[in-house]
Amino acid sequence: MSLTETTPQTHAADSLFRRNLAMFAANRLAMASAVVVVLFVVMAIFAPWIAPHDPNETDLFRRLQPPGWAPGGEWAYLLGCDALGRDILSRIIYGARISIFIGLAVIVVATMIGILAGLASGYLRGWVDVVISRIVDILLGFPYLIFAIGLMAMMGPGLWNIILALAYKEWVIPARVVRGETLATRELEYVEAARALGASRWHIMLREILPNILSPVIVVSTIRMAHVIILEASLSFLGLGVQPPTASWGSMVADGRAFILEAWWVSTFPGLAILLLVLAINVASQGLRDAFDPRFAE
Amino acid sequence: MTQTLLDVRGLRTVFETRAGRVCAVDGVDVTVQRGECLGVVGESGSGKSVTFSSVMGLVKSPGRVDEGTISFDGRDLRALSPAEMRAVRGRDIAMTMQDALTALNPALTVGEQIAEVLEAHDETLPPRGAARRAAIRAKSVEMLGLVGIPSAENRLRQYPHEFSGGMRQRIMIAIALACRPKLLIADEPTTALDVTIQAQVLELISDIRARLGMSVVLITHDLGVVAEHCDRVMVMYAGQVVEEGPTAQVIGDPQHPYTQGLLASIPRPGLRGQPIRPIEGQVPDLIGLAPQCRFYSRCTRRTDACLAPVEMRAAGPNRRARCILIEEDRA
Amino acid sequence: MSLGKLLERILQLVPVLLGVSLIVFVMMALTPGDPVQIMIGDQSITPEQEAELRRGLGLDRPLVERFFVFIGNAVQFDFGTSFYHRRPVGEVIAERLPATIELSLVALIVALVTAIPLGVLAAIKKNSIFDRLATVGSLLGVSLPGFWFGILLLMLFAVHLQILPVSGRIGFSSEVPTVTGFLLIDTLLAGNLRAFGDACRHILLPAITLGLPMTAILMRVTRTSMLEVLRQDYVTFADAKGLSRRRVLFRHALKNALIPTVSVAAIETGSLLGGNMIVETVFGWPGLGRLVVESIFLRNYPLVQAAVLFYAVTYVLLNFVADILYTVLNPRVKL
Repeated sequence: MSLTETTPQTHAADSLFRRNLAMFAANRLAMASAVVVVLFVVMAIFAPWIAPHDPNETDLFRRLQPPGWAPGGEWAYLLGCDALGRDILSRIIYGARISIFIGLAVIVVATMIGILAGLASGYLRGWVDVVISRIVDILLGFPYLIFAIGLMAMMGPGLWNIILALAYKEWVIPARVVRGETLATRELEYVEAARALGASRWHIMLREILPNILSPVIVVSTIRMAHVIILEASLSFLGLGVQPPTASWGSMVADGRAFILEAWWVSTFPGLAILLLVLAINVASQGLRDAFDPRFAE
Repeated sequence: MTQTLLDVRGLRTVFETRAGRVCAVDGVDVTVQRGECLGVVGESGSGKSVTFSSVMGLVKSPGRVDEGTISFDGRDLRALSPAEMRAVRGRDIAMTMQDALTALNPALTVGEQIAEVLEAHDETLPPRGAARRAAIRAKSVEMLGLVGIPSAENRLRQYPHEFSGGMRQRIMIAIALACRPKLLIADEPTTALDVTIQAQVLELISDIRARLGMSVVLITHDLGVVAEHCDRVMVMYAGQVVEEGPTAQVIGDPQHPYTQGLLASIPRPGLRGQPIRPIEGQVPDLIGLAPQCRFYSRCTRRTDACLAPVEMRAAGPNRRARCILIEEDRA
Repeated sequence: MSLGKLLERILQLVPVLLGVSLIVFVMMALTPGDPVQIMIGDQSITPEQEAELRRGLGLDRPLVERFFVFIGNAVQFDFGTSFYHRRPVGEVIAERLPATIELSLVALIVALVTAIPLGVLAAIKKNSIFDRLATVGSLLGVSLPGFWFGILLLMLFAVHLQILPVSGRIGFSSEVPTVTGFLLIDTLLAGNLRAFGDACRHILLPAITLGLPMTAILMRVTRTSMLEVLRQDYVTFADAKGLSRRRVLFRHALKNALIPTVSVAAIETGSLLGGNMIVETVFGWPGLGRLVVESIFLRNYPLVQAAVLFYAVTYVLLNFVADILYTVLNPRVKL
C-alpha cells in the first residue's frame, strides 16, 4: 500500500466531516448566520458593483444629510451622508472589504503558523516542544490590545502593519489547540501504523494527524475571527488602523463622534454593520462548535 | 408497626431523550423488611440504581417517576411535597454512593459535611448557640469514631482529598448514618475500593446494621458480596426484576436463565475446574422494546412462547422469577 | 500552597516580564522618526548641542546597553521626560492613574454583581426563556464593539434624554479636594453627597461600557461551570442528605462553580486595561488610557513606552494573581 493513498482513517474522517456538516445545516439559526456572513463576503468582493455611489466622493451640499426615510433625506442616499457628504451606505459596503480582509488575513496567517508550531511541539516533543511551549506561555502573558496599540503607534498605520500587530499573538491560540490534539492523536493506531511503515515525520504530521484534528482548529479559528474583526475596528476607531480616506467601519464610527448631537446616523450604521457581522460569525461558529466538537456542546 | 419498611409496587421510571423514551425501570416491585439486608444485583443499565434513586426522589431531569406506589414506613413517598421529601432524605432513608471521592464536596471540610446533615435533621440538638455547636461537634466525632476513623477530633477540619480512599468511604458512611436512618441504600459501596478495604467496608456496614437495627439495600454487581451479606436478593435485568428470593436459595438453585448465567460467569471456590462462561450478547436497547421476554435474545433456552409478555411467577415459598420455564405448581 | 512553590511561580514571572520589556523597548527603538528631532521641533540648534542632547539621552550607545539601562531605569520608575508635558513621565502617569483604576474597579464590580447571579439563574433554569435570553444577551455582549456601544449610550442618555453627562469625571461645580484621587471616595470624605452623586452619574456609562464584554463572558463561564457542578456526584449526595435547596445550590454547588469564574475574572480584568483606552477616549475620561492615545498622536514616545510597559506589567501580574487565586480557592489542586 502506498502511503500517499487515502487511508481508511481519512475516509472515516471524511464521512464524519459530512455528518457534522449535515448536523450544522440542521441548526437553522447557525445556518442563517452563516448566510449572513456569506452575504457580507459577497458584498465586500463585489463592492464596486453593489455600492450606489463612490465611497470617497465628497459633496458639501449633502453634508450630514439624514437617512432616506427621515425628513431632508433622499432615498438615493439610503443611510444618509457623513460630514464630508459621502454616502454612508457605500462606505459601509467598501468598509466590509477592510474588516473581512484583515480578519481573514490575520486568522489565516495565525492558523498556519499555529498549526505548524502545534504539530511540531506536539509530535516531535523534546527541545522543540520546550522552546515553542515557552514562547507560547510568554506570549499568553502579553496584553493583546495594548501591544497592538503600541505596535501600531510605533510602526505607523498601514494594512500590513495591522495584520502584523494582530497576528503576533493570535497564532498562540491555534498552536495550543493543535498541540493538545496532536499529543492525544500521536499514539493512536493509525499513526503507529504509518510510523511502522516508515513514513516520514512530516508525512505523519501533515497527512495522518492534521486531517484528523482539523475540526477543533476550524472551530477555534472562526470564533477568533469575530474577535480579530472587533480588534481591527477598535484600532481604526482610535485612528491607528487604515488611514483616511479609505473607509473602515471603526474609523467611520469615530468620524460620527463629533456629530452625536445633530447626526446620529453617522456613527450608528457603521457600528451596526460591525455588530451584525461579528454576531453572525459568533452564532455560526457556535453552531460549528456544537456540530464538530461535541465535547463543548452545552 | 408492620414488619415491612419499604414497599414499592409497579414502579416505572422513564427518561425522555432525544432518541425516544427510555423506560429505565419498568414495573418493579420491591419490599424491604425491618432489619433486613436486601441485595440488588444486575449489570449496569439494569435499572438497579435508578430504582432506588426513584425511591429517594432523586431522579434528575430528563427522567421522572411515571407510575407506581412507594410506601415507606406507612407513608406514601410519592405524595410528599419536595420539602417533606427532603425531611425524609438523610433522616429516614440515607444513601451512600459508589465513589466517595466524587460524592464528598472537595471544597468543604469533612466536619462541615457531617455537621450539615445533623443541622438539617437532628431534633435532639439544643436549639442554638454554643451548646448546639458543641453538640454537633460531639456527634460528628462520635460518628467518625463509629466508622473507625482515629483521632476524629483533629480530622474534622480536613478536606476530603486529605484522606485515603478507604477513609473517604467510611466518612461517607458516617455522613449517611449520622441521623440513624431506618434504611440505608448503599449503591456499589465497594466498587471503587481495593479488595482488602472492600471487605472492611462491608463488615462495617453489616456491623452497624446489626447495632442500629436498620435495613440495608446493597446495590452491587458482585454476587459474592450478596452471598456473604444479604438476607434476600433481587436480580434485575433491563429495567425489570427477573428473580428474587432468599439469598441461599437463589444462589444455590437459580431459576431464571439470566441468574444461572450470572452465576456461571463468576469463578466460585466450590466449582474449581469448571469453565467460566460469560453470558453472550448484550443488554437490549431500552428504547422501543418488544413486549417479549427481555432476556430472549441472549437466552440459551428460549422458545417461541417467550415472545409473549412474561409475568413474575412464584417459584417456591418466598421466591419468584420471570420465566415461562417455571412450573407454577411448585408454589 | 507552600512558600517554595509560590517563589517558584514568582520566578516564572521573570522571563515573561523580560519578554514584555524587550518588546516594548524594541517597539520604541524601531519607531520611525528620530526622538531628538521630535524634541527639537522648530527650535534652531547647533550640531554640537544636538550631539550633547543625544548623549544626554543615552542614544549614542549600542542597543543592548540601552535596553539594560532602560530596564534599570524602569525598575526605579524613571521613564524619562514627557516631551509634551515637560515633566517626568512617571509623574504624569501617576497623576492619571487613579481615574483609570477607579473606572476599572467600578466596571469590575458592575460585571461581577450582574454576571454571577444571572449565570447561576440561567444554569438553574436551564433551557427556560430566561436562560435563552441570557444566552442571547451574552452573545450580544461579546459581539458589541465597545466604542460603538458607548456612543449609543451617550446618544440615548446624554443627548436624547439628557439625564447623564457627556464626558469627564465630575462637574465643575462639584470639585472636591484631592485626597486619594478616587473621586467616589474623595467626595464622600469631603462629606459632599451632591458631588458624590455627580461622580456616580459620570462614571455610570463608562463603567457599563467597559464592563459589558466582561459581564457577558463571566455570565457564560458561571452558567457553564454551574451546570457542570450540578451534574457532580457531590451535589446528588448533598440532595440525598436532605439539605435545603438553598444550601445545596449555594454552599455545595456555587462554591465550586465560582472557582473558574473568579480566575476568569482576574484574567479578564487584564483585558479591561485595553478596553480602558477605548472607553476613556469615547467618554472623555481623564485617565491613563486617554493620555496614551493622545500621546501617540503627539509622538510623545517616552510616555507611550512607559504606559505600554506599565499596562503590560499589570496584565502579567493580574494573570499571576488569577493563577494563585485558582490554587487558593481550590483545595484539590496541590501545587
